[in-house]
Amino acid sequence: MAELTLLEAVNAALAHELAADEDVVLLGEDIGVNGGVFRATAGLQERFGAKRVLDTPLAESLIAGMAIGMAAEGLKPVAEIQFMGFIYSTMDQIINNASRLRNRSRGRLTCPMVLRAPFGGGIHAPEHHSESTESMFAHIPGIRVVIPSSPMRAYGLLLASIRDPDPVVFLEPKRIYRLVKQEVPDTGDAATLDVCFTLREGGDVTLVSWGAMLHDALQAADQAAALGISVEVVDVATLKPLDMQTILDSVTKTGRCVIVHEAARTAGFGAEIAANLAEHGLLSLFAPVERVTGYDTIMPLYRLENHYMPGTGQIVRALKRAVEYE
Amino acid sequence: MALAVFNLPDLGEGLADAEIAAWHVAVDEEVARDQPLVSVATAKAVVDIPSPYAGKIVKLGGAVGDIVETGRLLVEFETADGSAAGPAPESADKGTVVGAVAVGNDVVEETAISVGKRGAGVKATPAVRALARRANVDVSHVTPSGKDGTITAADVRRVAGILNELGPMESLRGVRRVMAQTMALAHADVVPVTLVEDADIEAWSEFDVTIRLVRAIVAGCRTEPALNAWYDGHAIGRRVLKKIDLGVALDTEDGLFVPVLRDVGNRAPDDLRQGLEAMRRAVEARDIPPEELRGQTITLSNFGMLGGRYANPVVVPPQVAILGAGRARAEPVIVNGEVAARHRLPLSLTFDHRAVTGGEATRFLMAAIEDLQKPE
Amino acid sequence: MSVVAKFEIHHRRYLDERGEPVGELPEFTCKPETVIELYRGMVLTRAFDEKAVALQRTGKLGTYASTLGQEAAAVGLGRAMQEHDVLLPTYRECGVQLMRGVRMLELFLYWGGDERGMDFAVPRRDFPVSIVVASHIVHAVGVAFAMQYRNQARAAVPVFGDGATSKGDFYEALNAAGVWKLPVVFMGINNGWAISVPRTAQTACETLAQKAIAAGIHGEQVDGNDAIAVYQVCREALERAYRGEGATLIEALTYRLGDHTTADDATRYRAADDVEHYRSVEPLARLKAYLINAGAWSDDEDRELHEQIRAEVENAAHAYLDSAPPTPQVMFDYLYESLPPVYADQRSSVGQDDDADG
Repeated sequence: MAELTLLEAVNAALAHELAADEDVVLLGEDIGVNGGVFRATAGLQERFGAKRVLDTPLAESLIAGMAIGMAAEGLKPVAEIQFMGFIYSTMDQIINNASRLRNRSRGRLTCPMVLRAPFGGGIHAPEHHSESTESMFAHIPGIRVVIPSSPMRAYGLLLASIRDPDPVVFLEPKRIYRLVKQEVPDTGDAATLDVCFTLREGGDVTLVSWGAMLHDALQAADQAAALGISVEVVDVATLKPLDMQTILDSVTKTGRCVIVHEAARTAGFGAEIAANLAEHGLLSLFAPVERVTGYDTIMPLYRLENHYMPGTGQIVRALKRAVEYE
Repeated sequence: MALAVFNLPDLGEGLADAEIAAWHVAVDEEVARDQPLVSVATAKAVVDIPSPYAGKIVKLGGAVGDIVETGRLLVEFETADGSAAGPAPESADKGTVVGAVAVGNDVVEETAISVGKRGAGVKATPAVRALARRANVDVSHVTPSGKDGTITAADVRRVAGILNELGPMESLRGVRRVMAQTMALAHADVVPVTLVEDADIEAWSEFDVTIRLVRAIVAGCRTEPALNAWYDGHAIGRRVLKKIDLGVALDTEDGLFVPVLRDVGNRAPDDLRQGLEAMRRAVEARDIPPEELRGQTITLSNFGMLGGRYANPVVVPPQVAILGAGRARAEPVIVNGEVAARHRLPLSLTFDHRAVTGGEATRFLMAAIEDLQKPE
Repeated sequence: MSVVAKFEIHHRRYLDERGEPVGELPEFTCKPETVIELYRGMVLTRAFDEKAVALQRTGKLGTYASTLGQEAAAVGLGRAMQEHDVLLPTYRECGVQLMRGVRMLELFLYWGGDERGMDFAVPRRDFPVSIVVASHIVHAVGVAFAMQYRNQARAAVPVFGDGATSKGDFYEALNAAGVWKLPVVFMGINNGWAISVPRTAQTACETLAQKAIAAGIHGEQVDGNDAIAVYQVCREALERAYRGEGATLIEALTYRLGDHTTADDATRYRAADDVEHYRSVEPLARLKAYLINAGAWSDDEDRELHEQIRAEVENAAHAYLDSAPPTPQVMFDYLYESLPPVYADQRSSVGQDDDADG
């Protein structure tokens, strides 16, 4: 059986769907001959040909806009933006067009496309290669925002995203692309979209996160357990639409919540979760909702990167504060 | 093993030779590629030359101070394989174009976590639980078919299919909903023990079961006030109450109502009768105000009106006791050594053993029975 | 030093300003039916356009972008396209849309602020109106890719103005269509103005057609007020695309006789005599003159046609004015294939919580 990294799981899902569905076409810069700069699409052009795994000119707006046209004609394009730092050139297409095509035409035309991009910091990269602005996309009606945190969920959620009839922005946490392996059988089974995954059960405090920070969250939960704190860990996975019910049910049980994201604090997606908790979960809360986040600064270049990225120590301290609050 | 020869390269602008200024390696030394080999002085400058190969130094082409011509031997190597020949091999695929992506070898498993309260031993992975959530299936009700008692996705889909065929679930509202929530709460907190005994009511002159039961409860509370109390499980404390506000369980079309007859210890039987009647009417007319459904200090469940003998009725916190009465019936009993037919009333007393001892409960029950056994 | 590339841009016209043939006419004109269809289409377009402006001025329609003066460019293209082609229009292509079977009622609904207008009964695969300048041109590349991928003899036709040719999306699209030899007919309708910015301030190029050279595709210019020329050039470009010979950029020269939209006042930036000059060379008059000279049309028939068209337009306008507004819940019904349950509460609260009139 296959033990795959998150990256290999992405590759496996793409390969599976290319084989299963003739309408699936991949496009992006350097994805064909080079197999993608992270090798997410390695071997796919050899297997499926240059007409299904396209090396595009260097033009992000084209990549996203073309995917819209392809999707409207019934293909299932999976477009890659090489880094989230370059995704901003596609915002016009995604926000003004992809998210609105179904609505604008009253369902006559639809947009079943996936826009994938590696995102997040922690790999000591040059400027613009460590972006974590997922909350900007989560704000947009008409799209889905999906972020896997493990090889198995990357495989399942990517399959689900490709099969979904509406646009999906699929952000891959590059820091954990190769960090761990997991048994990922190539069954072609899609994971469930629009739900949070409870990774660990606990009774004292709910720890909510997504993407690479989940790795640190689980470590923090272990450390907290040694201190006698029982932590329930929730992986949001689909940021939009948000399954708030799972989080509320958890907080009803524990009474305390810590949200972790590497994105900058203000208007980060943690704010949406916290607002929802205040709105619907106030009566269950024994302590203020804690957010452990990146600073409201620009991601520094790599010499200071470790100061910016939230660490397990910070998370554990937040868990303690939540539990000890009087 | 291969022998590789490194000649003095053209250091630029057609310089013909260079003088060895300093050696940085010695014969028999293992060197790495790019490791500084030698400094040579040309007509223009001192130039450091790095090693083009990895391997062992076999021979040096001269001593410090010697002049070496361009293209003549500088260093001879013994290399591990043929890698010395030809250009340096391609650098390993780093799998990124910027930065460094950490590579780990740990294999993680997503463990199936226990589902349902009290560690029933049934497990499901997060993905399966998420699927169940989406399909509106209560995971704790799914029979697992995976190894180690794990619920699989197929199990969830099977149950979802069954439920779909059965049609939509009826959402419980109003009194039924309250009952569901209250009983669940009671079950979670209370430690119930039920005591059963019968009262001999052969001597009764008139058959007014409910009022006699109310009086019996009052008698019980006078003997053992501990059963008329409110218990706080968090603080581990109790309030023994002077006033007896009796909850009377009533079964209606809509469900179970438990209105409160106030201060039964200080009211005459007729007053009680009227009070009961008024309560019944109000409940039937769905007219009973919420305050009248709150504040019970002890409860009576006269289920015998419908049938049945013994039960273990549920104590609803913060109360600590509930008396259940079954249907009165004629039975053969031994009286004075002989079998006789006597009318008897079966009683079941459930008490919360966190707050009440067996002795207290028994004495309460015996006092109640003593009162019940009086002719009037 | 050696010359490694040169280019030529050809300009096509078959009728002069007065409708007199210049040189040999294309074969399709031998039978007048097609030309009459072109003329009818232009009359319809102008009548619809006038009605739309009138409705806006009387508060019955939202902001509207008039196509006055550009009818030949639109109708020539619309008639040349086949049913199976895909049109990607901007907000000034009602002429093309009407030729392709979009109903006037649908257009009135759209401009009246109702998305149902873009749910065309036909053609089902044409794109809805695109407001963001040039963003739809890259969509056309995707549409054409799908056609090529499936080996279909169809073309994607994005229509855009002179302003759009300055946008990044325009260049990215042209470039991609070139490198992949996609079946796209890039229809640039150069009406001389991007709101208040004249064509000469838009680019240093002598022609917009020559931007094709930068993308390595075929480019040519046509007199956009000569319906016969527009039709012929478009047909050739479409055939080229169907045969797999790649993309074409067409620059149709015309003039925007109206304001940018009903909210604009062009007198702020245009000289009256300029506008008058262009009004004198407008496309309907010249095609009518040609038809009459060719003996294929008469003033009586013209009067009859105008009455007929006027009645059709009135009917459509009435149908629009009589139509009931959509129920507000519908705001939620086309976000996703099925509305995620998390938004159900918001959907049911519509109409109760807000201040809109019932």
